[in-house]
Amino acid sequence: MLQIRNLHVAIGGKPILNGIDLTIHPGEVHAIMGPNGSGKSTLAQVLAGRDGYDISAGSVHYLDKDLLPLTPEQRARAGIFLAFQYPLEIPGVANVQLLRTALNGQRRARGEAEMDAIDFLEYVKDKLVLLGMDDSFLYRSVNEGFSGGEKKRNEILQMAVLEPRLAILDETDSGLDIDALQVVAHGVNSLRGPERAIVLVTHYQRLLNYIVPDQVHVLAGGRIVRSGGRELAEELDSKGYAWLDDKAEFIEASP
Amino acid sequence: MITPTAYREALSRIDAPGKFAAARQSALEKFLQAGLPDSHLEDWRYISLEHLERMPLHAPADPPLALPALEDYPGAVLAYLDDRLVWRDTTLPATMLGTLADAIGGAAATSTPVAFGSLAGNASLTQLNAALWREGACLRVPAGERLRQPVFLRFAAAEADAMLYPRVFVHMAVGSDAILVEHFVGDPDIEYWQNPVTEIVLEAGARLTHLRIIEDSKLATHTGLTAVHQASDSSYRALNLTLGGQVARHELNLVLGESGAEARLDGVFIAAGRSRTEQHLRITHQAPRGNSRTLYRGLADARGRGVFDGRVEVRPHADASDAQQSSRNLLLSPHAEIDAKPQLEIYADDVRCSHAATVGSLDEDALFYLSSRGIDADTARRLLLEAFIDEALGLLDDTGLRDWLMPRLRASLPRGQAMEPLS
Repeated sequence: MLQIRNLHVAIGGKPILNGIDLTIHPGEVHAIMGPNGSGKSTLAQVLAGRDGYDISAGSVHYLDKDLLPLTPEQRARAGIFLAFQYPLEIPGVANVQLLRTALNGQRRARGEAEMDAIDFLEYVKDKLVLLGMDDSFLYRSVNEGFSGGEKKRNEILQMAVLEPRLAILDETDSGLDIDALQVVAHGVNSLRGPERAIVLVTHYQRLLNYIVPDQVHVLAGGRIVRSGGRELAEELDSKGYAWLDDKAEFIEASP
Repeated sequence: MITPTAYREALSRIDAPGKFAAARQSALEKFLQAGLPDSHLEDWRYISLEHLERMPLHAPADPPLALPALEDYPGAVLAYLDDRLVWRDTTLPATMLGTLADAIGGAAATSTPVAFGSLAGNASLTQLNAALWREGACLRVPAGERLRQPVFLRFAAAEADAMLYPRVFVHMAVGSDAILVEHFVGDPDIEYWQNPVTEIVLEAGARLTHLRIIEDSKLATHTGLTAVHQASDSSYRALNLTLGGQVARHELNLVLGESGAEARLDGVFIAAGRSRTEQHLRITHQAPRGNSRTLYRGLADARGRGVFDGRVEVRPHADASDAQQSSRNLLLSPHAEIDAKPQLEIYADDVRCSHAATVGSLDEDALFYLSSRGIDADTARRLLLEAFIDEALGLLDDTGLRDWLMPRLRASLPRGQAMEPLS
């Protein structure tokens, strides 16, 4: 589904990613772990199509097509979803307006009929329940005045509504207490499926107790320095990231 | 240098009763003496009317050349074309809603509105309007009466190079309540000049909601004045929308003349293309416990330029006044410009006043967030722009006019990143 080859990315001349290789198949859940400044979030943003990054070498193929020339909305319409580390507040745009506009934009792009307001409410009802959100969330401005946990749940609600093929969750666990973490994890787990791949970008392995990954990759200095199964995450948890120092040459970038 | 011929010619065509002919003549002479306002005046620093001197301006043909295609107005309607009343659709009696000419001089005249002409002041453009207005409109709501439907006054322009002087007088008697919509429009391809003056008197406890929409042609010049006087515990709520005009200027002079009066002034202006738009607000708290709240949102695209100039003056003895101003503005192109100039002058005690003015650009992070959800760039931009101006559109819900207005407002929102060439 996703093939990243030798990806080099810089911001303003400063190298952040220094040759990423990663292959993800449908149905898989991958965790990308690493210390602050290792380039995790950059990788997530580059995949979603954020501009301002210089892609100096390498390639990214998604569903066997070159991903890099596509705009963010083209990527989203092709099934890529990024749950933001810091979801934006958009005063004056109701959550329901964002959700329906986004869904219908994607449906149009796929040649499907748009959903009217009534059908949409029906469609979104179960998704709200899944994330323990009540109807009032639909009519509030996007993330405005939401608590940290509500914002993260709202990201997963968007994911549940848009049903992406490749979901990238950027630090979705950060700032969540244990209850909120369980709700979010439950939401994500219910979206696991044979056609859908999920990438969890995280600093801590705590999230991985609830969303069990198929593979874990450790990113350091802009490279994947270790890949393994779930046990790698546990090893990181007990030893921290410092033990990687002798294995990888760190290029610490400021976050 | 102004050539008086066109103005004198226009005056000669007005068939005014004798007692007003002298007043009109005198107003015209005052205008001719002062001339068009120019950049020497502080309030006219940014905008120029020089182009008017080069236009073959003239009073419109009489009767009008063509009848307008009237749109649906959800309420009572007086429709004017080139300063002539061409359509009347209302069940209100002529004593409540009719032409100003009838109200102050004609057969339907009951009594001349006492305050007529007393609020508008004596700036040169106001003198010109006083000299050359033709039929005008007059709305008088009797004490305690509440109009169930909005009253629409449509002022349309159809003749090229016409100069038009809509004149409106509104008298809200004690405890009355109404919704007034003034709608200025014109044929899209012609140049003309609308120079309207509206005076509004609110007696004690009266309530008026006033929508004023400048949707003039992209080539037109609009220089409008609204003057409002509020008695005790009256409420004036206004939404001023500037969506059209090559040069569009609106001045609002509001006096909270007696205690406990409340004013809410909302506005949205959009300066696209090479247009210039200016909003000048003069709010005077003259009496204790007045409350004024101003909330304007401005957009400038391409090489458009906007000015928000809001001045609140709290006079001595206007104690316990509350005045809040907010002017937020977005620039949508590197060549657009908006100047926001809120001012407070306070000469009373125990006053709560604040103002906030910002000029910024669309949030790139928010645009990326929306596009990462599969929303195309144009739609994302539109969502953000609509959200931005929506803060100033609360009166649309209170008046039930949101469905009527939003399509035209949406049509006026700048689209895409298309920019004018630099030349």
